[in-house]
Amino acid sequence: MSAPASEWSFRVDDLVKRFGTVAANDGITLRIEPGEVYGLLGPNGAGKSTLVKQTIGLLKPTSGSIRLGSHDLVADPDAARQLCSYLPQAQMPVDAFTVREAIEIAGRIRGADIAQVRRRTAALISALDLGEWRATIGIRLSGGVKRLVGFCMATIAPGHLVILDEPTNDVDPLRRRLLWQEIRSLGAQGCSVLLVTHNVLEAEKAVDRLALIASGRLVAEGTPSSLKAADRNQMRLQVMLALGAETPPLPAWSGAPVRVGNNLVTTIAEKDAPAGIAWAADLIDAGIAEEYALGATTLEDAYIRLTSELPPDGLHGDA
Amino acid sequence: MATLDLPILTIPPGGVERGWARWGHDYGSMLRWHLTSLRMWLMTIAVVQALSGVGFVLGISLFFSHIPVSAALYVSTGVPVINLLIVGLILGPQLVAQQRTAGSYDYLRTLPVSRSVTALAWYTVCLAVSVPAVVVSLLVAQLRYDLPLHISPMIVPAVLLTSLAATMIGYALGHAVSNPMLTNVVTQALVFAVFGFAPVLYPIAQMPGWLADVNWWFPFRHMAVVTRAALTGTGGSAVSTGYLVLGVWTVAAVGLVAWSLGRRP
Repeated sequence: MSAPASEWSFRVDDLVKRFGTVAANDGITLRIEPGEVYGLLGPNGAGKSTLVKQTIGLLKPTSGSIRLGSHDLVADPDAARQLCSYLPQAQMPVDAFTVREAIEIAGRIRGADIAQVRRRTAALISALDLGEWRATIGIRLSGGVKRLVGFCMATIAPGHLVILDEPTNDVDPLRRRLLWQEIRSLGAQGCSVLLVTHNVLEAEKAVDRLALIASGRLVAEGTPSSLKAADRNQMRLQVMLALGAETPPLPAWSGAPVRVGNNLVTTIAEKDAPAGIAWAADLIDAGIAEEYALGATTLEDAYIRLTSELPPDGLHGDA
Repeated sequence: MATLDLPILTIPPGGVERGWARWGHDYGSMLRWHLTSLRMWLMTIAVVQALSGVGFVLGISLFFSHIPVSAALYVSTGVPVINLLIVGLILGPQLVAQQRTAGSYDYLRTLPVSRSVTALAWYTVCLAVSVPAVVVSLLVAQLRYDLPLHISPMIVPAVLLTSLAATMIGYALGHAVSNPMLTNVVTQALVFAVFGFAPVLYPIAQMPGWLADVNWWFPFRHMAVVTRAALTGTGGSAVSTGYLVLGVWTVAAVGLVAWSLGRRP
């Protein structure tokens, strides 16, 4: 007899994890409902993996609680391993397995019935377009295909909470779309999905809600639209600078610039769009820039804004 | 493109499965995992073990023109212990070190199986790899030296306990030492100590007294005592003591494995 879905919500309350004097998680509280795909974003060392490792029983919190339904995952790590499925950021150890074998054995280890495992393995291989590698041994697979196999292993018999740490790493664009469909499908079938990713743009399309974690704290949480709300009526102006060009002074009406390589991104108000285009065109005429693009703001802009507003006391170490 | 239309396979809500039925299922699954993940190497490892055992047995006759039967018997009944020790002390730690290096160690620790399942499945693999080498070494020794072997039923507990102690000590080492390079250094040092300074292939009477005393506290000498006794049909208080000391080492190593696997820093 199944418990009502709402009884399986995932709840983290005031979670603190200290390594010496460093607080890798500093009072994190969040809740994920069954069926919800919840994205966890944040810069390197923000405390995302620390949160995940405490959930799955690899680390013990300094204080606070982690519960899934009626189960206390901190007090009962055996329950955590049965009730949660986990795709780590590192590749799965599948070198000696064929794709089909790896997925099926993972399903059996997760306690599922062999007939169900076989049917679902076939369905996952088909859904992620892995058929041509079905009988290929892991050592001969590309990193992207291995990643997809890892996803199948983690979700062949998914727990009530599915934790996916950078599931799309190395995956080609076509299969990445299929992967996002399957992640959504997990939610549609009642799993809570905790998705850890750096891929802000893709996460925007796939998650129901997301949280931004930095310096061990949850600094923003909401739907992608609500997090972008502060950027409403704003546009993203992206300028590709010429090789070796200095960052040009920005107009007073533009937002804080971010330069990555030769790529300069800033936000401007919609009403300033004509002035922004003229400014970028002048840069091209002066040989400072090669091209520009003006478009709607994305979650990435909100992410950059939120992280740049943080005090410069980033977490140290591999958290 | 096809999408999933199958019912989701969640663990039955409200019930985290525990008990012997689940334990047995998990043992079978983990054994299959180990055997499949090592299948490209298992046969090679077993053959190398058998060849090294045979090499010891035959090699001793190349050192000396005449080998007394008592010496041949001593070496030949020590070689099975070397086979069991090498597999247990080296294979486990190196596998764990490799998992740490590859980054898959954490994933394997999150599999929903108990620590006892993980350890016992690994012990089974070590037995499967080393017992054929034990048999081949003894067969070749018998053919070469026509030894007065009197194999008693006690060979079963002797081999099982020797292998269990070696496997668990190795496994504990692999899990407790978090630096893969250090693990490899320690296992190499252990093997060196076993070959050179543990009375497995030669009588303890040939050692300096202080080294013999030191060896009493380590398991290697006792492994040789119980296995040799079972192969030659002998007994005595040293054998009983041997089982006792090995038992203590095994319990301690199993405890360390359990602690290391369940450790949440």
